[in-house]
Amino acid sequence: AARMAAPTREERTACWGARDEFWQCLDSHGDDAAKCEKLRRAFESRCPQQWVKHFDKRRDFLKYKKKLETEGYVPPEAAGKS
Amino acid sequence: GAGWLYLRRQKEQRLRQRRLRDLRALALGQGDFQLQDTSGTPRSRSDLLGQWVLLYFGFTHCPDVCPEELEKLCRAVELLEEVPGLPPVQPLFITVDPARDDAAALGRYLHDFHPRLQGLTGTAEQVRAAAGAFRVYVSAGPPDPDGDYVVDHSVLTFLLGPDGLVRDCYGRSRTAEELAKSVRGHMESYEPLPP
Repeated sequence: AARMAAPTREERTACWGARDEFWQCLDSHGDDAAKCEKLRRAFESRCPQQWVKHFDKRRDFLKYKKKLETEGYVPPEAAGKS
Repeated sequence: GAGWLYLRRQKEQRLRQRRLRDLRALALGQGDFQLQDTSGTPRSRSDLLGQWVLLYFGFTHCPDVCPEELEKLCRAVELLEEVPGLPPVQPLFITVDPARDDAAALGRYLHDFHPRLQGLTGTAEQVRAAAGAFRVYVSAGPPDPDGDYVVDHSVLTFLLGPDGLVRDCYGRSRTAEELAKSVRGHMESYEPLPP
């Protein structure tokens, strides 16, 4: 199989733009992904799959970090998991 | 008065010398490397002697960090170019993904950033040795069905002095302006370590 070329500068910028639009939609809909499906599909079409995974993880990390900053750390046991 | 200032300068100089000796004692980046540039020409670490170098390890398939760090590095080089009387800084990129980043791929990628930005690649073994010489962590992730993967790696920009030794290293949080200011400080206080 031919080796995939790395995204060009233009492709990177287009991907990041699609990501930012998707994230802005999530921000204004309380992270309800169902409300942002069109932008999600645009994001997935503009970015390599590996980058989509990377940015999804980044978003989760940023949300977790924000949660730590506002609520403080709650160990899993204390959260009532059985 | 002047006596106190003199003593303080002496103390600052001793602290600088000690810090530089500590850096050398850490043997950070003491190892040599054998790589090739984007025209396929062999390059070793000793080719960099006599120049100030800002060096970053990354890969062309990188989602965000590498383009951002390269923009920052090149912006710092531009800021330094604006200061009259300073020696030029050589911006340098070494790939941590030699399987995909051959000379042609590197040339295409780096072309976007700064006219003097150079790139180095090599065999897997050569690149592993170069990253190791700078204690740069490299770990390729699992490939997806298309064969695409990302490479987890330390995000650091190294400043090398004309004597070839690492003079400083900069992480994600430093701005281009902070990099330029720090490099300038190193240039202005540069004293080569005794051999």
